[in-house]
Amino acid sequence: MKSREQRDLFPGALEMMILRTLKRQPLHGYALAQHIKRTSNDLLQIEEGSLYPALQRLLKEGLVKADWGVSSTNRRVRTYKLTAKGARHLEHEVSRFEKMLEGITRVLAPGES
Amino acid sequence: MSWLKRLFSRRRIYGDLSEEIREHLEEKIEELVAGGMSRREATYAARREFGNVTLTEENSRLAWRWPLLENFLMDLRFALRMLVKNAGFTAVAATALALGIGADTAMYTIVNGALSWDLGLENRDRIVIVTSTNVTRSHDWGVSYPDFRDFRSQTKSLSGLAAYQMAPVNLSDHNALPERYFCVQMSANGFSVVGHKPLLGRDFIPEDERPGAPPVLILGYHVWRDRYASDPSIIGKTVRMDEVPRVVIGVMPPGRRFPEETDLWTPLISDASREKRDNRDLMLFGNLGDTGSLAATRSEITALAAGLVAQYPDTNKDITADVRPIMEITGLYFMKPLFFALFGAVGCVLLIACADVANMLLARAAHRSREISIRVAIGAGKVSIIRQLLVESVVLSIAGGFLGWLVALGGLRWFDSGLGTQVKPIWLHLSLDRGALLYLAAISIGTGILFGLAPALRLAKTDVHAALKDGGFGLVGSKFGLRLSNILVACQMALCVVLLAAAGLMIRSAVKVYSAPIGVNTANVLTMRLNLPEAKYAKSESWTAFHQNLSARLKALPGVELAGVASNLPLGGWVPFPFEFEGRTIDPAQPPEGGGLVVSNNYFQTMQVQPRRGRLFLDADGVAGPPVVVVNETFAAKFWPGEDALDKRFRILEDHLPGAWLSVVGVVPDILQNFRQHLQRDPLIYVPYAEKPDRQVFLVARTLVPPATLADAFRREVQRLDENLAVYEVRTLESRIAESRLTVSLFGAICSIFAVVATVLAAIGLYGVIAHAVSRRTQEIGLRMAIGASRRDIVRLVLAQGIRPLVPGLAVGLLLALAASRLLRVALVGVSPNDPATFVGIVIVLTSAVALGCIIPARRASRIDPLMALRHE
Repeated sequence: MKSREQRDLFPGALEMMILRTLKRQPLHGYALAQHIKRTSNDLLQIEEGSLYPALQRLLKEGLVKADWGVSSTNRRVRTYKLTAKGARHLEHEVSRFEKMLEGITRVLAPGES
Repeated sequence: MSWLKRLFSRRRIYGDLSEEIREHLEEKIEELVAGGMSRREATYAARREFGNVTLTEENSRLAWRWPLLENFLMDLRFALRMLVKNAGFTAVAATALALGIGADTAMYTIVNGALSWDLGLENRDRIVIVTSTNVTRSHDWGVSYPDFRDFRSQTKSLSGLAAYQMAPVNLSDHNALPERYFCVQMSANGFSVVGHKPLLGRDFIPEDERPGAPPVLILGYHVWRDRYASDPSIIGKTVRMDEVPRVVIGVMPPGRRFPEETDLWTPLISDASREKRDNRDLMLFGNLGDTGSLAATRSEITALAAGLVAQYPDTNKDITADVRPIMEITGLYFMKPLFFALFGAVGCVLLIACADVANMLLARAAHRSREISIRVAIGAGKVSIIRQLLVESVVLSIAGGFLGWLVALGGLRWFDSGLGTQVKPIWLHLSLDRGALLYLAAISIGTGILFGLAPALRLAKTDVHAALKDGGFGLVGSKFGLRLSNILVACQMALCVVLLAAAGLMIRSAVKVYSAPIGVNTANVLTMRLNLPEAKYAKSESWTAFHQNLSARLKALPGVELAGVASNLPLGGWVPFPFEFEGRTIDPAQPPEGGGLVVSNNYFQTMQVQPRRGRLFLDADGVAGPPVVVVNETFAAKFWPGEDALDKRFRILEDHLPGAWLSVVGVVPDILQNFRQHLQRDPLIYVPYAEKPDRQVFLVARTLVPPATLADAFRREVQRLDENLAVYEVRTLESRIAESRLTVSLFGAICSIFAVVATVLAAIGLYGVIAHAVSRRTQEIGLRMAIGASRRDIVRLVLAQGIRPLVPGLAVGLLLALAASRLLRVALVGVSPNDPATFVGIVIVLTSAVALGCIIPARRASRIDPLMALRHE
């Protein structure tokens, strides 16, 4: 069964946010989850676990790559990095999203036809 | 090969994933603990924040899988497990399917082979046959040589027109014993009209068909291979055909036997008799070319024929011409409805088997609803349940298909051996080729989906709550399931009626044919055929001498009682003769026509026939004294009704010229001669051999020992008289008659097998449904008994359930059968397609089958112990 939060995000939204976050710096899963939560001001009710299926899909598509390493807190972590292909994909997705958002905004804006 | 690497590295990927998630939770817990939470609280919080760990892992793994294929493999594994677990069900269902699929594939092989047989022509749709017919007598198709020449020179719509005539010939040389072959005399353009070219040597050229041209011959591939050991130097050599030396000029490629099942070809050379415009014994075939149409050609040829009528009124009065596609002329066209009938019959068997399995699955569905409910409750979607059930039924049908392959192989072998030693028709194809295997695979999978769909859709509708809560059956409206079963059973019965009708009509035909007295004593008669070549036996005296000589030699053999000759054997047709009766005027253009046989004077004694009136032939008949004739009873009754035929006189017209007056000296009982309608009693006359000697005759001998043992001795006697003469068809009269009745008995046997299988399958299907209904109504029946129903009432209740599908099944089936039996008409002998006895029989057979199907469940129901039943959960 799908949770309500997942249903409310449009398909590909989570992937886009992950890619955008990884563009700034490589992160491991936990840090990634905390970062998205924090930056979204907890407005998006994302289960931390839902990150992992998305990450696996991105790995398979070759948009990110992952390496095991040791974190600053001396913990074994798997760090995800954006690939060149991932960067291109992100750019494309973001522009698509902006167009969509603009369209929706115009429809929703009061007073204009 | 990245997908391959991925397949093997998947285990590592999954390991990484689990470890990563574990680390994630650990990190979170540590952070919360550092923030002041107890470890236990932190663990709960971390898990709550994370969500369902197992589902997350499952969803993450999904990214790496091929869901369609892997789900299918999983379904397949599960299906195999289920089928193995229910071995009894699997065995019964697979056997039913194997019978249906196997019979269907075998029939497909035969029908497909027959209908796709193209006479060895690549362009069979462009080849037409041109016939000419006297409108007042419609059974002749031949064209005369002068008419052919005129058609050929004037036609514009045909790209080529050729003529041929077929005749059996003897071929002798120093390579092997003399043998008989079918030779086609064909106009020199014949092969080019159909686009055939010789494998070796050359085709005929126009010079070959000029009168006086050196005689030449083209060999069929199989003759070249079998008789001349594929010797390429045969070209240019001389062989003797009917005692005439001919030079072999060519060999045709394998499979080229046009126009019929031809062994040898010679050019068609015109002579004085062929130049007569009313000597119509040639067959014509033409090529429509790339652009011609059948309709245009037909109107052109009809117009040409009309022109000939105006030009030659003496010979061409009432003669019209027609053009038809060649495929309409072959024997297979005549058989086509029969093939479709058989194919339809076998399709019915398959459908009945499918309905059986569907019903079994429906019954089992009731017991599986709990399993399905649990699967739905833990998250299985409707689609995945239907898919799972369909995979199960297709696996079942594929198992049935594999067994069906064995059934088809066995059935074809049985059919092959049923045909016995006789020559198989060229179009009969009795091995499973690639097309047949593809067909088998297609119908296997198709039937799996067909019979699996209804039960799968029903099960997918299972009401989860009801099924899990009260342990009942949980099917939404379980009455609907029963109604579906009843509809299936009614359909089975309808199809069963159609098959029973076909089988009943064929069996009635066979019984009529086999019980009809032929009119002669067929036991202990050996027959053989002789064809004296014209070149060596030019004069009729030499024929008479040879046949008398041979008969005497055969009679002298130990074990032979009598030996004589006849132009035709029983069920072997007759020679048409136009007559003129004394004291009656006739229209010379349309004399009364009847059939006749030329027989030696001892023929009736040899066949053990006693005269009804007058006498049989005496030794002197036809040699000395006034010419005499013997007629059969039908002839006497038709032409002299109410009169005594004895001493009446008539004469035979040959080429419109009357022969001598023949007086009737005897009337014999009817001997069946018609080779197509085996019960037909034709008016026939018997002419003494000495009156009309012939080069082609059958030799008949009555023996005192089993006739087959004398075959070699007979051959030797012929060789002693003429070492170049081919003897053929040395066979007993009984085997000939059995062969001519083969169609009836073979089709009868096939239809009967189908009908028996269908009835058994339908009875089993009904049994399954009733038994299932009884087991589900146990409680209700117990209650009825508890409140006073007698055992007889219960039996009546169950029987009523069985009768319910019978009535609509019978009604629909009888209507279908009446329509379908028309297809069988060509194979029926002496039975009308709506024979009432057959249809009454069907009702009885089917009702008995229903009673049999009901009896076991009915008895079981009547023995239900009400106390036990009411406690029964």
